Amino acid sequence: MNAAFVTAMLSAALVAAVPLLLASLGEATAEKAGLLNLGIEGMMLSGCFFGFLAAYQTGSSTIGVLAGVLAGLLLGLLFGFLSISLQVDQTLVGIAITILGAGVTAFLYRDIFGRQNPSAGVDAHLVNIPLVESIPVIGPAISGKPLLFYIAWLLVPAFAFMLNRTRFGLNVRAVGEYPFAADAAGVSVYRTRYAAIMIGGAMAGLAGAFLAVIDLQLFQVGMTVGLGFIGLAIAMVGGWNPWRIAITAIMFGLLRSLGNGLQILGVDVRTEFITMLPYIGIMVALVLLAGRTALPSALGVPYARGRR
Amino acid sequence: MNARFSTTGGMTGILPRLAPEGSGGGGASSRPPVVEMRHIRKQFGPVVANDNVNLTLREGEVHALLGENGAGKTTLMSILSGMYQPDGGEILLDGQPVRIGSPAEALSRGIGAVYQHFTLVPNMSVIENVALGAGSNVVLDMDAAERDLQAQLGEFGLNVSPRSKVSDLSIGQRQRVEIVKVLSRGTRVLLLDEPTSVLTPVEVEGLLDLIRQLKARGVAVVIVTHKLDEALAVSDRVTVLRGGRKVAELGPDQIAAGTRADAKRRVVEAMFGGGAGAGEAAVPEGGGHAAGPVLLALHEVRADGNLGAEAVRGITLELRAGEIFGIAGVDGNGQKELGEVIAGQRHVRSGSVSLDGKEITNSGVAKASALGIGYVTDERLHEGCVQSATVADNSVLKAIRRAPFSNGWWLNRKAIDAHARALIQQFDVRTPGPDVRIGLLSGGNIQKLLMARELAGNPRVLVCNKPTHGLDLKTARFVAETLRRHADAGNAVLLISSELDEIFDISDRIGVMYNGDLAAVFPRGAADAETIGQIMLAGRAGAEARA
Amino acid sequence: MSATSATTARRALLPSGARPFVSSLFAIVAAFVVGGVFLALRGKDPLAAYGLLFTRGLGTGYGVTETLIHLAPLLIMSAGLLLALRAGIWNIGVDGQLLVGALFAGVAGSAIAGSVPAPVMWLVAALAGMLGGLLWAVVPAILRVKYGLNEIITTLMMNYVALNVTSWLVKGPVKDPDVVPPQTRLIPKEMRLPDIPGTEIHIGLLVGLVAVLVVAVIFRYTVLGFQLDVLGRNRFAAIHAGLPVGKLTAFALLASGAFAGLAGANDILGVKGLFQGNWSPAYGFAAFAMVYLARLNSLWILPFAYFFSFLAIGGEMMARPLEIPTYFTEVLEGLMLVFFAVAVYFERKFAPADRSPDAMEAEGMPSAAITAEPIVTPELPVPTGERR
Repeated sequence: MNAAFVTAMLSAALVAAVPLLLASLGEATAEKAGLLNLGIEGMMLSGCFFGFLAAYQTGSSTIGVLAGVLAGLLLGLLFGFLSISLQVDQTLVGIAITILGAGVTAFLYRDIFGRQNPSAGVDAHLVNIPLVESIPVIGPAISGKPLLFYIAWLLVPAFAFMLNRTRFGLNVRAVGEYPFAADAAGVSVYRTRYAAIMIGGAMAGLAGAFLAVIDLQLFQVGMTVGLGFIGLAIAMVGGWNPWRIAITAIMFGLLRSLGNGLQILGVDVRTEFITMLPYIGIMVALVLLAGRTALPSALGVPYARGRR
Repeated sequence: MNARFSTTGGMTGILPRLAPEGSGGGGASSRPPVVEMRHIRKQFGPVVANDNVNLTLREGEVHALLGENGAGKTTLMSILSGMYQPDGGEILLDGQPVRIGSPAEALSRGIGAVYQHFTLVPNMSVIENVALGAGSNVVLDMDAAERDLQAQLGEFGLNVSPRSKVSDLSIGQRQRVEIVKVLSRGTRVLLLDEPTSVLTPVEVEGLLDLIRQLKARGVAVVIVTHKLDEALAVSDRVTVLRGGRKVAELGPDQIAAGTRADAKRRVVEAMFGGGAGAGEAAVPEGGGHAAGPVLLALHEVRADGNLGAEAVRGITLELRAGEIFGIAGVDGNGQKELGEVIAGQRHVRSGSVSLDGKEITNSGVAKASALGIGYVTDERLHEGCVQSATVADNSVLKAIRRAPFSNGWWLNRKAIDAHARALIQQFDVRTPGPDVRIGLLSGGNIQKLLMARELAGNPRVLVCNKPTHGLDLKTARFVAETLRRHADAGNAVLLISSELDEIFDISDRIGVMYNGDLAAVFPRGAADAETIGQIMLAGRAGAEARA
Repeated sequence: MSATSATTARRALLPSGARPFVSSLFAIVAAFVVGGVFLALRGKDPLAAYGLLFTRGLGTGYGVTETLIHLAPLLIMSAGLLLALRAGIWNIGVDGQLLVGALFAGVAGSAIAGSVPAPVMWLVAALAGMLGGLLWAVVPAILRVKYGLNEIITTLMMNYVALNVTSWLVKGPVKDPDVVPPQTRLIPKEMRLPDIPGTEIHIGLLVGLVAVLVVAVIFRYTVLGFQLDVLGRNRFAAIHAGLPVGKLTAFALLASGAFAGLAGANDILGVKGLFQGNWSPAYGFAAFAMVYLARLNSLWILPFAYFFSFLAIGGEMMARPLEIPTYFTEVLEGLMLVFFAVAVYFERKFAPADRSPDAMEAEGMPSAAITAEPIVTPELPVPTGERR
């Protein structure tokens, strides 16, 4: 029973961590480039809805996921246009996009589906990994998950590589830390920031799509319940390092799935206490790390070259 | 013969190779100059920063651009490096007129700049900084780049690992990294903006050697500076700017070793104006200067700067009623922080500050201001005023909790309005009225209002940082006279400035700050511009070397 | 609506007048246009929808009454939000503060209802509501002032915590044991806030008007408001002038929390009579968008809040006949804020500008002010017309 419990907990935590991880990796890229994306919640919610809608209509989870990514990416583009090109305050832009995302998805869902709450009913492409699945305890928790689950975790090294080993990553870091230096060295601050926020939006959309298309296969109004904002905070707590973000995301995945675990154990705790743990946890984590994480210097600051 | 460094030779594609030493330089005088700036004009609003300036840069020649703060040096260099577009005039590169639209374009044309505020990203490694913006490969091969860079760093006397973080390097090392970075982009015109202002004397020697090395490679080097000795030690040609205009140019024969003393005198005269310190100040000296009782006393005061390093290093100073104490110094030598310490705006780490014999160390701005310390900041827009608020509101920013402007709870709008009107009238602030946004006024008028705001509290001690900077002559004169009157009324004024004219005009005593320390204090009669200039540039050692 | 005449006569240079509201108007019109296209794409007739929205929302007595009832909490909440935003504090946690305030008010009110005169009960419940909202802002305030932790994320997180905490409390400790659904004990209808004579609108609306007036008075006539304004517009100037920055920051957060709590109490005492579990009023984002459209100007909140309240009620009233989900209001709010951002850009582009960093350099400003610490002309908050 003990081993089964550990397996179940780990399995639930890893799945629950995926949306946080995906949103957070994208947000880390955007923040590294100097953009604080408070629209992430709206982008994620859009990923949920449009992903779900496309999957429901076509019956294909792949198309659903792609639609979710596209929705997030377009909102990222909107964020970029308002905050980079028009240089409007990022907080205001972020909140506007979050409200817009919440409104549009809720409106369309109710308009299209009325009072029904259908399931997407698509193939999540579960993958069994031959050798891994036979490892005791851990194996069953890792194997037999949807394809996108594995892709998500593989994105951790991919983002680490992108941020640290590629020219684009170098540009992103320079642009967020000291845009003047990047500009002086011939790096386009605008283009780099646009690319970064589009990645941030696409990843938020992907996170939403995983949630609605792959994991739950349904949409609910406001279903992200702050997961986007938590992803944003995880990027900070993880110091914009994909590996540390992954660990932090697993910890918060554990917090998210704690309720189920305790139910299995037969512990009687009010679900509300469990549900609010991630929100409290993120504040605690931020307090503990405040001062130790140096925010990108140009975070939130629009860039305009000194010229008239 | 091409002095240009190859931009394609690097094995890795990240780092271009430098051309070997000796590939450039030497009497190619028949070819056109590398850069010719002709009749450059640049205006910011009403202020003319560059007015009909010519500058010619030749291969393998070191050109010093001298002038006081605000003389237009930085603007001229910003135009050449693509940061600004000139309003008039033209730039010729190898004899061909060009338009330099951006820093990136300047770099691609072989013009690289090393700014006073380095353009290195502090929390990235040396190698990442050098690779930034260079090349187009998607993936960075750090190992190969490291080998390449290691050699180059060694060549320029830098014994640091390419992997070390820039923030862990000393300022001198950072500067070299910056130079290597710029050179690795194929630079043949190198602009150095105040390169020595941040360096220790040993590092300065090293830098001058490096400049000679670059000269031998055929690079055209421009040093923007106001440090005379260093400029003369390494340059072939000197251009002096003053008030946005070119006021002198000295060629190689005029600054050869034999005639250096003469050259120096001419440059100082051109930079600071012949009149400085000659005792012809239009404002009369205070009657009983330095005779009054001590109002403000600082004892062994130490305080940190914004970046954490100690900025004020054990300053002891007494200000007496009736005197204006001028503090001269090149920007960044702790004067600003000293002013903030007195105003209560900066934490004192050790030592004491007392006013009228009563200790007020670290009592905060509100208390210091209530006790009679006024502070006119040099950062007028950044912290001096609220740009989006009205002139009237700004006029009572510091006194709002006191009568008659409020009873502590309720504002007295009538009193505020009347006060603002009075200040506007007394100080001739040009504004449509007290309820105009202060951000719409000119810098000079904002300055007048800030000055008026402090003086209205009739402070026993008034600290002014660069009170006439950027003002037109008439306004500057008015401000100076006002300060003089305030001191004559039995108060003390601490006047911080990097412009000697301003200091000489009205100070009773003149102190020179260098490297966080009060390096020397002169009674006004005993000071001359040249001595003070030397101490400003080199500390006490500068003065002793002269004596 | 009355402020226009007083301000239009002022010269173009002056920091007041109705000019800034051109942007807000543009944002509203653009949002309606795009929202209309959006409706059309969904196969609905936007003209019919907007027609119904305006005729029912503005033209019927029922619509106006409902709008005015809905207006009360919105006014109180926006007044508090404005207080924070003017001080440069992003209190995005007003929804959570409202919830906790509502719960406190519901518990305190029902506990003493009947044993004390009704007005005393109202007062106690209102104070309890304010206390609840204030308490909910304490954590973000401490984290901000003591630990320098940005309040945006903490206030957001506190929203979700509030949802869960109130939901738990109302299921357990403070639940009315006599009924099945999770809710506090009902305050009998006759003990709730009475209607304004001659109307069916409870007197909470007057509280809302007073709240807005209080904030307007604070910013127009008091030292406190003056200092909050300075803090919000230029933090460095506040430090330079020796203002108590930490205290002001904490005050702004706590006070806006208390206002939000009062808004919650208002809903309990005026309309609901009890606190129900899983109640998610979500006034917060509407209030946020609205306060920005009102350009952080306290009296201009009145017309804009009425407009937003009308949108919410009208949206509900047109929902049934035309089968347009009520969420359409939220779509409009989001669009308004997006277009408001665009409008702010154009406004800044064509407004008489403050000096650029270039000009500062030419005027002898320290170069550090240009490069090391980029000056961002504080485009927001942009209070207008508050001063004279």
